[in-house]
Amino acid sequence: MAERGLHVTCSEVVELVTEYLERALPAEEATRFEEHLNFCDGCIVYVEQIRATVGTVGRLHEDDVPPHAKEQLMAAFRDWRRSP
Amino acid sequence: MIAYKFLRADGGSVFTGFAWPLPPAGPGAWVEAPLDPCRSGIHACRPGDLPYWAGRVLYEIELDGEVREEPRKVLATRGRLVRRVSAWDELRDAYTRMCADRAHELVAAADPAFAHWDSVVEPSLPEGPALLGFVAARIAEEIEGRAAAYEAERARQAEWLTERLGLGAQL
Repeated sequence: MAERGLHVTCSEVVELVTEYLERALPAEEATRFEEHLNFCDGCIVYVEQIRATVGTVGRLHEDDVPPHAKEQLMAAFRDWRRSP
Repeated sequence: MIAYKFLRADGGSVFTGFAWPLPPAGPGAWVEAPLDPCRSGIHACRPGDLPYWAGRVLYEIELDGEVREEPRKVLATRGRLVRRVSAWDELRDAYTRMCADRAHELVAAADPAFAHWDSVVEPSLPEGPALLGFVAARIAEEIEGRAAAYEAERARQAEWLTERLGLGAQL
């Protein structure tokens, strides 16, 4: 078998995307990450979607969320904590 | 230093979307950025790096200021696009086909246990040169069971590109 860790997989892109966008990946790992993006259209779309989401959510303030939506979100979080 | 840079069809940077000033008749405007590998700076390819970053359009780029050579890329604090390497437009499909043929050849020469790899080659063709180059190199790596085979296949691809793009023996 080939050595592990030489190539980044699609699953690892999902795992590492936040660190990549925050420029927190070590340079060598960031290079491997971008090598994968260069040939994987699905992953580059995914990374762009996360980048756009982070940009949008980053501009939101607590007051921007309507009370009804806030209550629904809080209920969802409470249910999630109760789930096994 | 003269190096090379793949861009999107619209002239944007592949990973950041930065809109490069394209060279109309002569060199484009200089772009400057602090140097920090994979985070900031002008990133470009030496001829030997081309297969790792194969993309839609290829430009020759002049690098200046602080220049740092890294594995698989070269970085600088200043860069400007000099000219579009139009030969790449004509070679892109031929390079993709060459990588596919090479992948078939590697599988055919290997133990039958690797025969299943052959089935991924043709369906990958529409994805273009970057994926086919990776597929051929990964097949070589799997067959030989060592990373050096992946790098050797990448070097072979770089040699093919350098020769046909007329970039000289700058590997």
